[in-house]
Amino acid sequence: MTDAEATKKPAEQPAEPELPLFETNVGGQVMIVAELTDGQLAPVGLELLSMGRELADKLGNPLSCVVIGHNLGDVPNTLGHYGADIVYVADHAELAQYRTMPYKRVMCDLMESLEHPPHIVLMGSTTTGRDLAPRVAAHFLTGLTADVIEMDIGPYEHTNKADPEKVGLYEGCLYAVRPSFGESLKARILGPWKNPQMATARPGVFVPLQPDTNRSFEVKAIPVNLTAEDTALTIRDVVVELNKNVDLTAADVVIAGGYGLADAEGFKLMEELASCFDNAVVGASRKAVDAGWIPYVHQVGQTGKTVRPKLYIACGISGAIQHRVGMSKADTIIAINKDPDAPIFGFADHGIVGDLYQVVPEMIAQLKRQITAA
Amino acid sequence: MTNANFNIYVLIKQVPDTGSKAGVNPDGTIDRARAKRMMNPFDKFALQAALHTKKEYGGTVTAISMGPPPAKEILLEAIEHGADAGVLLSDRRLAASDTLATSYALTKVIEYLNTEKNHPADLIFAGLQTTDGDTAQVGPEIAERLGVMQVTYCEDFSLEGTTLVARRIVEGGHTVVATPLPALVTVANAYTPLAYKSLRGAKKVQYLARTPEVEAEYISVIDLDVVNADPMLAGLKGSPTIVGKTWKIGEVGGSCVVRQGQSVANMVTDVLDATPVDEFLNKKEAVPV
Ligand SMILES: Cc1cc2nc3c(=O)[nH]c(=O)nc-3n(C[C@H](O)[C@H](O)[C@H](O)COP(=O)(O)OP(=O)(O)OC[C@H]3O[C@@H](n4cnc5c(N)ncnc54)[C@H](O)[C@@H]3O)c2cc1C
Ligand SMILES: Cc1cc2nc3c(=O)[nH]c(=O)nc-3n(C[C@H](O)[C@H](O)[C@H](O)COP(=O)(O)OP(=O)(O)OC[C@H]3O[C@@H](n4cnc5c(N)ncnc54)[C@H](O)[C@@H]3O)c2cc1C
Repeated sequence: MTDAEATKKPAEQPAEPELPLFETNVGGQVMIVAELTDGQLAPVGLELLSMGRELADKLGNPLSCVVIGHNLGDVPNTLGHYGADIVYVADHAELAQYRTMPYKRVMCDLMESLEHPPHIVLMGSTTTGRDLAPRVAAHFLTGLTADVIEMDIGPYEHTNKADPEKVGLYEGCLYAVRPSFGESLKARILGPWKNPQMATARPGVFVPLQPDTNRSFEVKAIPVNLTAEDTALTIRDVVVELNKNVDLTAADVVIAGGYGLADAEGFKLMEELASCFDNAVVGASRKAVDAGWIPYVHQVGQTGKTVRPKLYIACGISGAIQHRVGMSKADTIIAINKDPDAPIFGFADHGIVGDLYQVVPEMIAQLKRQITAA
Repeated sequence: MTNANFNIYVLIKQVPDTGSKAGVNPDGTIDRARAKRMMNPFDKFALQAALHTKKEYGGTVTAISMGPPPAKEILLEAIEHGADAGVLLSDRRLAASDTLATSYALTKVIEYLNTEKNHPADLIFAGLQTTDGDTAQVGPEIAERLGVMQVTYCEDFSLEGTTLVARRIVEGGHTVVATPLPALVTVANAYTPLAYKSLRGAKKVQYLARTPEVEAEYISVIDLDVVNADPMLAGLKGSPTIVGKTWKIGEVGGSCVVRQGQSVANMVTDVLDATPVDEFLNKKEAVPV
């Protein structure tokens, strides 16, 4: 899609006035920020390294990776094995938990210390990335594209005369493509006028490279200088259970309950349905988790787990985008909802409009009959 | 405890009403002239948070919006719900603003109001994101420009004197943070939904509609010059990004077979027949029938 636009018109066409040429690539790094969840490397960092590697190779520039935290152990090496040329490490007790201001300070200090500003800076489109990236972008007064699902490098011709100084042909631009208007459109966002060109990228979209323990890379500790103001926000409590074991991701069947269950008891019914299947686990929407009906480990979606089971049965779940991104890659999705207009019917494979408290017991009964007949 | 006199701002944006089909072009883009308009649904949670703060801890709520003249409608709506005043920044030179340019213009409005009131903002509430641009970037960019603390993805909060204690959504759970004011808070849709309009608010807006000279005391419509903003940093000129080309995404899913109105048993049989369930059935353990 991108190269077609790059091809110039044949020479015999009437010569158009030449656009001034701007090379945006002055050798700045492609920099990605790897984040930690619950003390462990979040998968999105490795996904970004793979995309970042591709972009860096196209540009012929180094790929760097920043990791900020405390007692990072072997994390920097892992990032090197997954594709970084330079791993910047900020390890400090004040950085143990994510906080906007200290992390922003570290990022901005690092970026300002480089000879050229990075060409591209990428963060995950997570609650951390979407908190930090706009803060850093506003500090550098540069552009930021949100929640990107495709990226490439290419030229851009700016012909809009409303802003004459910007008219020109720009080489080496980041093409950041994001879904918009309720996922019905994709839009390519460009920001060639200023480096770094920044974006946050949606987790679960890019596929990490195979780790290579023989790669050579540099690990550089970066200085941490925080002011009292930077640390004025304190963390009183952290409730994060992402890494405890309910293995949602390895299950063949996920039976997910939502706010439509109406109470914690409803999850007993979900478990009963799950027990009809082999290798099945119970999942949940965030709203059901927030209601205290089931622990966070069961949550599916943007701030929970991403699952790809063979069968996903959603009971009393409306199908909000944050839930959908965590389960839309299931092979088969069955939705049970009493509202015929629920968004989940827009992307499930099979739907039943009805009260889950009638439908699910009937489903259990029929499955049990199939089991005994087998 | 109504003793503080907090200066509270809430940022609200008017967006096309995507629920109604009016003004939605076949290619999925929006014809803003024909589309119905509404307050960004996420901003209703922000408004609720602002009104809650006023009621619980004291202060005044000013709703701020940037957009074309019809955006006055949502400021009046905010007053119906109990906001004290509304400010609309409306200027042709704002067209094609990206988030950085939008955050510049809104920051200039906030600084202007801070001076007018002779009281810098204590709390600024913004929505989590909008339903049109959908970037969730404007709030944090304003916080950076103002140099204030921020709490994004906030789903609940309280004030202990001038310390904000907020619960924020994170992957796999939540965190509880405490920060001194001033702070900018982006309110998640997990927060309390907006309460009904107050009778007093509704009456007030009816009265304002009849008496434009009084309306002007509650709703001010201002431009870039009033807030002393540099037009080179706003709108198209001030935007480091532009929307290049757009594509329609091939309908994802969209092929759902929905069963409705038949007996529950028939619908379930039909769905189970259409799904390869027998592959995954638990045949190992005897399940009591
Ligand atoms: C930053 C952020 C991150 C988020 N992350 C996630 C995430 O990871 N995962 C997630 O799931 N959500 C997440 N959310 C929340 C998400 O936006 C939705 O609020 C949530 O998914 C809604 O959950 P629900 O579908 O269970 O509830 P609701 O939207 O309230 O839907 C309940 C559904 O049940 C149906 N229903 C009610 N009673 C019955 C009945 N008796 N029988 C059948 N149907 C019935 C209703 O028709 C309705 O469609 C996030 C939100 C934010 C802001
Ligand atoms: C398809 C498409 C894609 C785009 N992608 C990008 C992109 O990747 N990067 C980029 O920089 N710009 C992008 N834009 C431009 C962006 O939509 C505009 O800058 C817009 O003015 C503000 O961004 P938002 O709607 O995303 O707001 P968000 O950042 O999602 O809004 C968060 C909160 O800020 C407040 N707020 C936002 N705008 C206003 C306002 N006008 N008045 C009052 N309060 C407000 C509200 O409280 C709102 O809830 C895109 C536009 C389109 C049409």
